[in-house]
Amino acid sequence: MQRLMPKIMLNFKDVVAAYGETNVLQGFSATICQGEFVGLIGPNGTGKSTLLKCLTGLLPVKSGEIILEEKNNTDYSQRERAQLVAVVPQSFDIDYDFTVEDIVLMGRNPYLSYRVKESRKDYDLVTEAMRVTKTLTFRKRYYNNLSGGEKQRVIIARAIAQDPDIIFLDEPTSALDIHHQIEVMELIRNLNLNKSMTVVAVLHDINLASRYCNRLILMKDGQVVVDGTPKEVITEDNLKKVYDMKMFIQENKLFEKPEVIPLRVIKETETYRSLRIHVICGGNKASQVLEELEAMGHHVTAGVVNQGSDDWTICDVLGIPMVEASPFTSISLEKQEENLALMADCDFILISDLPFGHGNVNNLTGLENLSGSIYFHKNCRNNDFTEGKLTKCLSEIKSKKKLVEIDDHQEFLEIIKKQTHIEDNKALFEDKK
Amino acid sequence: MKSKLKKHAMLISIIICMIIIYLCTLMGVASISFGEANKILLNQIFHIDLGMENISVGATAIIWNVRLPRIILAFVTGGALALCGAAYQGIFKNPMADPYILGVSSGAALGATIGIILKFSSSFLGLNGIAILAFIGSFSTILIVYNISRVGRKVPVATLLLSGIAIGQTLSALISLFMIFNQNEMSQIIFWTMGSLNGKGWNQVIAVLPYVILGCVIMLTSVRELDIMLLGEDTANQLGVDTERLKKKILFSSSLITAAVVSVTGIIGFVGLVVPHIVRMVTGPKHRVLVPFSLLFGGVFLILCDTLARTVTAQEIPVGIITAAFGGPFFVYLLRKRKKGGV
Repeated sequence: MQRLMPKIMLNFKDVVAAYGETNVLQGFSATICQGEFVGLIGPNGTGKSTLLKCLTGLLPVKSGEIILEEKNNTDYSQRERAQLVAVVPQSFDIDYDFTVEDIVLMGRNPYLSYRVKESRKDYDLVTEAMRVTKTLTFRKRYYNNLSGGEKQRVIIARAIAQDPDIIFLDEPTSALDIHHQIEVMELIRNLNLNKSMTVVAVLHDINLASRYCNRLILMKDGQVVVDGTPKEVITEDNLKKVYDMKMFIQENKLFEKPEVIPLRVIKETETYRSLRIHVICGGNKASQVLEELEAMGHHVTAGVVNQGSDDWTICDVLGIPMVEASPFTSISLEKQEENLALMADCDFILISDLPFGHGNVNNLTGLENLSGSIYFHKNCRNNDFTEGKLTKCLSEIKSKKKLVEIDDHQEFLEIIKKQTHIEDNKALFEDKK
Repeated sequence: MKSKLKKHAMLISIIICMIIIYLCTLMGVASISFGEANKILLNQIFHIDLGMENISVGATAIIWNVRLPRIILAFVTGGALALCGAAYQGIFKNPMADPYILGVSSGAALGATIGIILKFSSSFLGLNGIAILAFIGSFSTILIVYNISRVGRKVPVATLLLSGIAIGQTLSALISLFMIFNQNEMSQIIFWTMGSLNGKGWNQVIAVLPYVILGCVIMLTSVRELDIMLLGEDTANQLGVDTERLKKKILFSSSLITAAVVSVTGIIGFVGLVVPHIVRMVTGPKHRVLVPFSLLFGGVFLILCDTLARTVTAQEIPVGIITAAFGGPFFVYLLRKRKKGGV
């Protein structure tokens, strides 16, 4: 059987739109086919909501055109357009006492006029829409007295009652708790799957977008940056370009979709004096201390790190210089020396909480000859598989210089903070005067 | 039981209105007995003669040519103002909106002031020149306000309200200026602006009625769209309402009605503001119910106020004073009683 080409529902051709003089959309192009679930993502102010305004005819297009189901968007009347496109805004309040049923019935407006009254069929569609969204039980209640999640479902019911071909959602989940976020997204996905409704959703939560949409359009400055499947779009490179911050991306094993873990935006480099710090790590426990040290503005290095470990990933994302080694191999003499060289000019060296075995204990050889102060995480002793070699290394270091033992990484961070905090030191200095 | 009551609420209200109209016709300063008044009404309306020989021509004239047209004009005026108020509050999404908010009243007052000063006494279709000038004044004010606030094809609501207020204030200043230079006519102008139904007859009723009926029809055909307008203009657009067309339709018909009414009666305040709110508290915000009930209640409210105006003291009080004096406190009472966000 020949596969049919999917029907093109929406075609944005080089759309430029502006509020006054400033262009918000600057040549947005995308084609959306029937049955797709498209997520529009991107930072605030990139024109996602403007796109909605252009589509619904509230804002005229400056140049370019929008083709809605084979006809230019400007050729539709409000009424005709509302029969094709339904909009679900962020949940909003109404100053008047309308019941849930009143609100949902308003969705039938595009099919009614003063001559055409609500018929049996309209009421049936409204009831069905309320059934699907589980709002039927409170249809007689006032909309204003509902919770945020219930309100959002009512608005979705209204959109369903509109019997559209395309549903456009503008941040449908941003005011909801996680339970209701998932509920709303599942509801929309069911519409998409069961009724092959075309869905376009502006979403701020990239993880929700990744999980539910089968296509994502990443926007910046009124243009498309990338357009593709979640796996193609959600990459560190793409997101870094758009959001101007460091992000950490991993695959969510449960949904087999990429998942974003945003790292911090506000750095504390102003508050702390910068030091050279080396962290001996390579397992899965030093990520947090690495990230915090980096955020404080210290010049951090790490080694010797096993490729693919959590510590390795965080160094990679943050751009922390490190000595790498392939997993499950002993650290070669070469790597060991590389690591020593990195540590040579360090003010502090942290032996982080990691298991030591024959493969990596030589991370510690030669430390006694370095100038930096050395801190040692006590818990290493509980994961010592070196048959005494670790203890030997430590006593060698102790024989030549001071080895400070700490109970956890937080303690180390506190020590560093105390030593480098600019305000504190100033106060100390003034006291002395 | 309750739903049955709801179903027949309109019918019951209409009957109550008729009864009030009837009772108020019987009341007045001139002493005409209950029986006489009834006989006159039956004779005039149904041509049933129950012995008219004892009744003076004067009494018939008072009932039929003075009281009844005045009461009907009060009903039409009050109803029209309340109707326009309800529609304006809907499309402006603003509880402070009333039929005069766009400067219709100031325009009418300026027209009337000019008419009074120029002693414009010629009449046309049974209306005096002052009313005609007032009508011209109010309708041209709306056109000016509309064109000031228009941006291309669109009329932003906020701009419309502000330019209405601005133009209204400017016109009021002009009126004051005219009054300063024409102190002889001052009291007449002030009386006109306070609004009165005194001395109005069938001519005025007939002059106003077509506009009011036309306006009612236009508004009753837009009730669903007016409901949706309460969710905000953007949402209304997305639900298939051509909001710009609806605004024009409502603005045009409301202005026409208000202009017609104001030019005949002067500025009767508060009815258009308070009545829709009071009705909304009972019926809810749906215009399908709100609009007809505002019409009825506004009409009855003004009849009652006018009856007080003409019977309480020997010197007739302008009805605008009564509506404000009763409407204001009553509204405050309702607001306090129902201290809830949405009115």
